[in-house]
Amino acid sequence: MPKAKIQNHIRRLRFEYGEMTQQELAERVGCTRQTIIVLEKERYVPSLSLAFQIARVFDRSIEEVFEYADE
Amino acid sequence: MRIFWLMIACLGGILALLAISRVVRELRPNPELKGLPMTSLEKLGWIGLAVTALVVAGIAGLVAIVGVDGFHEDPAARFTFWLLLMGALGIWGLAWARLRRDGGSVVVDERDRAILARSFSVESMVVLVSLVAWTVSLTEVFWDEGSIPIPYIQLLFWTTFVGGAMGRSLGIILGYRRELTVDA
Repeated sequence: MPKAKIQNHIRRLRFEYGEMTQQELAERVGCTRQTIIVLEKERYVPSLSLAFQIARVFDRSIEEVFEYADE
Repeated sequence: MRIFWLMIACLGGILALLAISRVVRELRPNPELKGLPMTSLEKLGWIGLAVTALVVAGIAGLVAIVGVDGFHEDPAARFTFWLLLMGALGIWGLAWARLRRDGGSVVVDERDRAILARSFSVESMVVLVSLVAWTVSLTEVFWDEGSIPIPYIQLLFWTTFVGGAMGRSLGIILGYRRELTVDA
């Protein structure tokens, strides 16, 4: 499977943010745990809305959470 | 004329085999997704696939045992047919109610909705193929008679309906095995 162009630091931020679990993050942003898992594996590119919600949970800007990587 | 239909049947068989091999390849376990918990929608997809496969097998068995004309004249066969359909609907409804209850605060999220939307393309393809196959075969078989018996029309509808439901379930399952991007 080809990797998504959008990379993220969700896993690292979860651990920095009091070792938040995937389930906790999923409930806070309104998605399933599986979506968080595939996000961290960079197998899924979220909508803008979800991306902003995730950034807001970590109190960061969206650019600090997600990066557009050239292939 | 007979050779023409044999060629069409062979072509249809080859296309069916290609489609099945593609589906089987897509359904192979993906090591990168190993250990990924199933979402409620994905579980429903598998339940839907199993239920519709059972219904298709049941209908095929009924038709094989009593024949299409016998099916229409035999009340027991009709009762069995309706029982199959209602039972399948009941099982699917119970499964969805149970998954909604056990799914937690989020049952279907944006990724699930996108996968569900794309699954309709598989359903549409199955419905289209079914309608074309039925139309061509019924036309050729009953051309001289000038009319198509009602049992065949019923069979056309119900097989297409159940086949479409199976296609949607398959589309859901395949959707979870592909990389997906939601349009913002």
